Amino acid sequence: MKIAAEGKRPRAVRHSEPAILFSVADQMFAISAQAVQEIRSTDGLVGEASEIHAPVLASVRHTLNHGRRNLYVVNACAHFGLPAARPALVLILRELRVAVLVDRIERMAGIPALHPLPKAFSGRERRWYRGLTYVDGQVIPVIDPQGFISAAEFEQLDRVNASPLAAQLESAVPS
Amino acid sequence: MIGAIRAVDAAPVKVDGRSFVIFQIDRRRFALPAHRIAELAPPVRLHAFPSTTPLVAGVIVRRGRIVPVCDAAPVLVERDNVPHRFYLVVRLAAGDASTGEDENLVAIPVSGECELASADTRAPEGRPAYVASSLSVHGEALDVLDLEKLMALSSRTERGALEEVQP
Repeated sequence: MKIAAEGKRPRAVRHSEPAILFSVADQMFAISAQAVQEIRSTDGLVGEASEIHAPVLASVRHTLNHGRRNLYVVNACAHFGLPAARPALVLILRELRVAVLVDRIERMAGIPALHPLPKAFSGRERRWYRGLTYVDGQVIPVIDPQGFISAAEFEQLDRVNASPLAAQLESAVPS
Repeated sequence: MIGAIRAVDAAPVKVDGRSFVIFQIDRRRFALPAHRIAELAPPVRLHAFPSTTPLVAGVIVRRGRIVPVCDAAPVLVERDNVPHRFYLVVRLAAGDASTGEDENLVAIPVSGECELASADTRAPEGRPAYVASSLSVHGEALDVLDLEKLMALSSRTERGALEEVQP
């Protein structure tokens, strides 16, 4: 006796969204191309990155001075609990004070559909991902850029780094 | 090879409230109400990605759906990495209108083919909270699992919560 599933399928949001597929510790992720302002090599960050002396988050140990913005650098390996790797690139996100260390860019791809994360997932991944997509026979989590650092964590980080940020804000205000 | 669910007895089993699908994880057998079973699926590719939900190993793709995989072996048989031959795809509670889901499926890796049996259940005594009832098939006492409870408990971090015993 074989019993086959029937009933409606979970509703996936059908659209083709340009995305960047990147890898961290051999795990592939997708992020909306619109969420990324710039991709740089970590080699080019010398002199622009500063160590946070009293880290609040295990995944955030540096800040990055990028133009008039001071960004928090998120190590994606630590953020996702993956084995440590040697990140070669940094994704500078648009509209968020976040830069993300990743191993490599795989390619650009159009996300054909965004499937909701199944309800069985009840942990921190509900904050990390906007959903799942299926590209070339592989299920890939689609990153929610706001999941890297929450509003409360930003506040905490800002408090710890108050002095340099205050100085930066002061210098940014036109006299 | 696609899995099959065969009847315990030669006589045909009518699927009703007394019908259960018996499945094996490692060397132990468990039961679930037959009406909750959607499919016995072949061991298709498991897509794993970072998550912090205990027991949820990743997802499989079946008939165009993304189905989460609940590897209950660490709780049910206290073993990790138990080899599996099939996925038993089970319907959980009603779907979620906000996501358009009208069916909430979960796949359980099982170690062999499954059986369909008809039997009366009785209240579990001294069994963990995720055991809904007990049934006896040819003299073998089997736990009927409450999968929702098992998965809800799995979201707690303490393993102790999984081993809470019913009075």
